[in-house]
Amino acid sequence: MLARNETIFKWTLYAAATLLCFLAQGLVLQRFTLWGVIPFLYPVLPAVLATYEGPVAGAIYGLAVGVTCDSLLPGPIPCFYTLVFPLVGLCGALVSQSLLPAGFLCSLVVSAIGFLLTDVFHCFLLWATGRSAWSSGLFLMLREFCVTVVWSLPVTLLFLTVFRRTRFDD
Amino acid sequence: MKNFLKNHGLWVLFAAAVISVALAVMSFFSNTSAPLSNLAGVLASPFRSAYTSVATWFNDKQNYYKDNTALEEENAALRKQLAEMEKAIRQAEEDSAENERLRELLNLQKKREDFEFESAYITEHTVTNWTSSLTLDKGTKHGVEVKDCVIDETGALVGVVSEVGYNWCTVLTIVDTDTSLGAQVFRTKDLGLAVGDFSLMEERRLRLDYLPAGCQLLGGDLVETSGLGGYYPSGLVIGTVEEVQKDDSGTTSYAILAPAVDFDGLTEVFIIKSFDIVP
Repeated sequence: MLARNETIFKWTLYAAATLLCFLAQGLVLQRFTLWGVIPFLYPVLPAVLATYEGPVAGAIYGLAVGVTCDSLLPGPIPCFYTLVFPLVGLCGALVSQSLLPAGFLCSLVVSAIGFLLTDVFHCFLLWATGRSAWSSGLFLMLREFCVTVVWSLPVTLLFLTVFRRTRFDD
Repeated sequence: MKNFLKNHGLWVLFAAAVISVALAVMSFFSNTSAPLSNLAGVLASPFRSAYTSVATWFNDKQNYYKDNTALEEENAALRKQLAEMEKAIRQAEEDSAENERLRELLNLQKKREDFEFESAYITEHTVTNWTSSLTLDKGTKHGVEVKDCVIDETGALVGVVSEVGYNWCTVLTIVDTDTSLGAQVFRTKDLGLAVGDFSLMEERRLRLDYLPAGCQLLGGDLVETSGLGGYYPSGLVIGTVEEVQKDDSGTTSYAILAPAVDFDGLTEVFIIKSFDIVP
């Protein structure tokens, strides 16, 4: 019973942190353009969280963020983010478990993977619909990552705080 | 002293009388004040000055306090008045801009009486780097439907409604990769398909594809919606031809169009809720 309460508490904190990130994206990041692109925080969220919480929780969290993004953002297909973000979460967890320990450096790497998966999927869909734009798409991915990577650090700090707090309770 | 007055009192009295009479006579015939008065005045003068200075200082302080209080009150009232006037000016500027937009729209309405408009304000610009979209503050509550065209006050096409909620809708602009519109070159009447292209989207440009072989387009040629198929109204300005290029195979040509609408300056747009199919 106690474990369930702790789980609810932990995910409530993660949900609050996620909401904060969504607000930051909508109120701040979306309002300015750097190097021709707006910072795009959403792929960073499942990637970073999964480095702390593992593949299953990371994938489920990615699914939830994906569904939310699909309902808020226009996409090439209706379930675009719902398909990509669980994969991003899964990859994030695998990197943290096998290559790099969870932390700021790991967050940078998994954020890059998050952008790679999301934007390559974008390019693939454009290619599949006969509007191939691989070079423009990959250049956009590079710029998106460069502009957003700075913001992955506060996101990591936020999720790390929640992780430590809830782990301490364990 | 008692003996002195007893012995010389009479003399003293006499001398006093003589001095008094002399002073009286002098003061009568003199143009200046009497010496005694003068002496008294001279002695009192510094005290008078001091008294006056102190009184003046107090008076000044009192007046300063009164004036300062009054000025502060006046300043506050003026600031309030200024703020109200600035607010009124801002409102007037907004009203003036809206008035101008509506006048332009009225001209369009006169030309195309079949159009039923719904004005809407843009609440959000592009939210991802992969789409070019706008979110408007009108939805199904106001009769907006998917595939409704959105124009600015000059009749230039902004985009097409792609998603509608109760009090909001999302518009994919004409430069978005998912936008595809039947188009016609105004001068030559050549038909084509205006489509968004991802590599041009960032530059706010789109392509005019499927041009007939041998079509002679010139830079600056106006391109409008063709209205073929009846999905979208005809005669809405898409943009102008910027350059004509050959595709990768080198057999067909396409044009790059510069949209007529200024996406950055948009605040209010008009949704065409219904129209007649004009042949």
